[in-house]
Amino acid sequence: MRSFILSKVEVLLAMTIKFPIQRFTVFGNSMLPTLKPGQDVLVWCWFLKLKIGDLVVFNRGGKEMIKRIHLYHGRSIFVLGDNRKESTDSRSFGWVDKSEIIGKVVSFNT
Amino acid sequence: MNKLISKIFKLLPSRPVYAHCDIPCGMYDPREAQMAAATVLKMVQKLKEYPEDDLNNKVRAITIKEEHAQICKQEILILWTDYFKSEHLEKFPDLHDLIWKTAKLCSDNKRAADETKARELIESVDKIAEIFIQTKK
Repeated sequence: MRSFILSKVEVLLAMTIKFPIQRFTVFGNSMLPTLKPGQDVLVWCWFLKLKIGDLVVFNRGGKEMIKRIHLYHGRSIFVLGDNRKESTDSRSFGWVDKSEIIGKVVSFNT
Repeated sequence: MNKLISKIFKLLPSRPVYAHCDIPCGMYDPREAQMAAATVLKMVQKLKEYPEDDLNNKVRAITIKEEHAQICKQEILILWTDYFKSEHLEKFPDLHDLIWKTAKLCSDNKRAADETKARELIESVDKIAEIFIQTKK
């Protein structure tokens, strides 16, 4: 019984608390030349202090995307892809709210 | 140390994250190649019209011809590598050859200022555009 309750707690924790470090694999060309498709990034998700120039992962309509912060206004964040010619970003979908941010990239393999 | 970090790195589960580009991706159009080919011909004609001593305009026409021959080549190659699929090739078996020859014609048009070559380029690009339209049906 105890283990049953524990496992329920674990599941709940996993659902509510974000793991502090998450790994993502990049799909698409919009972050070239910084990030290539297929490249892995390590994202820090706790106690975020965001600043202009940070690479962030955010959730937009159920889709997790990666872009760079270009402007910051209160809770609203304007993000752009490094590859302007091939990027769908705040120019088309508008500002991203801070609550949509999953984390910021702390490391990526080169 | 780095090896250790990268080992830990690989232990973590990975999710896809999108560096998204849904506007230009998947949108193909042969019209740009057609426009570029038409520009090449126009520039060859202009080059002949300008008087001998009008070096400035002659150089401009040559530069634009050069640029548009390159744009034409690029656009065709994008269609070739990104748009056309193997099922298109089954339907149009001479597609590879046609594209290869058209790309070569783009180079020929850079090297020379020849109306016949420019017209040949337009014809070839039109053929590719025609195949493109057929595949859309």
